[in-house]
Amino acid sequence: MFEKSDEQLIARALQGNKKAWLTLLKRYEKQIYHYGMRMTGKNEDALDLMQEVFVSVFRNLSNYRNEGSFKSWLYRIAHFRCIEFYRRKKPMQGLDDVPEVESEEISAADAIHCHQENRQLINAMQQLPLAQKAVVELKFFGQFTFDEIAEQTGISANTAKSRLYGALGKLKQIMEVDYA
Amino acid sequence: MHKQHSELSKNDLFSLWLEGDLSGQQVLDFEALCLNDDEFSERVSGANSFIMASEHYQSTEVPNWNRDSTFEETQTTKWWQWQGFASLSFVTSCCAIVMVLTGLQVRLDEGTVTISFAAKPSSQEVETLVNEKMLEFQQTQQLALNQYTKNLQQQQLDASTQLTQYLLSASRKERREDFVDLIKHVNEQRGDDQLFYARQLSKLQQDIYAIPMKSDIGEINE
Repeated sequence: MFEKSDEQLIARALQGNKKAWLTLLKRYEKQIYHYGMRMTGKNEDALDLMQEVFVSVFRNLSNYRNEGSFKSWLYRIAHFRCIEFYRRKKPMQGLDDVPEVESEEISAADAIHCHQENRQLINAMQQLPLAQKAVVELKFFGQFTFDEIAEQTGISANTAKSRLYGALGKLKQIMEVDYA
Repeated sequence: MHKQHSELSKNDLFSLWLEGDLSGQQVLDFEALCLNDDEFSERVSGANSFIMASEHYQSTEVPNWNRDSTFEETQTTKWWQWQGFASLSFVTSCCAIVMVLTGLQVRLDEGTVTISFAAKPSSQEVETLVNEKMLEFQQTQQLALNQYTKNLQQQQLDASTQLTQYLLSASRKERREDFVDLIKHVNEQRGDDQLFYARQLSKLQQDIYAIPMKSDIGEINE
């Protein structure tokens, strides 16, 4: 059984084919959900963010011009929705500000949806400013190149690199403390 | 300067390593830096530990959520509700304005389509137009000439009739006057004759009366 390409599913979804849209959504929902988990640290927020991302993707589906991969376009939308989500949740906090650590541990409700091995990593990422967290996410989990990250986040490749280096330094310290 | 250059090289090597794009010599340089440069080595080990942690990240299943809410039913629009009608209408109006302003003329003449953008007619059209006008003018003139001729003939006829009538009436009058004069003359002649005859008669009467008297006298004288 041949699997339909993203472009074929998009074309059908644009014609109003709900099944095609749901197939496309299910293909990427896990990636976007875990993107949300790592970016927000909370299951509820990750689900809200995922819904916002896919609603936005569906509404803008006709604007997708097959320039670059659909995944890259999807992560670009996810990045901007995440920034909006962040600003709505924490309006007084800048993108480069170090967030206030609410709790060292993931809440019990979130722990149900969070694998034991993921907890430390998600906790560590929550201590990074959003700007650095986004670059780490896209580089190590999205597997994008620096040029792609630069395009998706609207910054230069050099800025993306320097944000990643800064983030790696902080993460090393955080994870060493956590593992100790 | 040298330190800055090597710093740039370290960053470049590090980013190339992260991208997995290190070439043969670059791998050697990278390994040498890892061995000799503690700061670089720590950065690499930090990155490695995070990469390992990310690789061990368990992508658990997504909790059940309302996927249908992301799909918005697109109502199939009827053909008369087509969004492009407004644009089409606008474009058509613009075309019409341009056609009017430029005096666009499309002519189909003997299988030849001619499109012209000026209100100025072609020489052939001018010739046809002139011919038409000339013919019309000629016809008008012909009609006017015919009418004029007819009027003139009628006028001449009227004049002749009037003259004839005049002549007839004038000759009748003259003849009547002549007759009157003749009758007058005759009457005068007759008057004169009557007077003459009256005188003659009177003389005769006198003569007649005078004759006895003479005889009386003669008798007397005798």
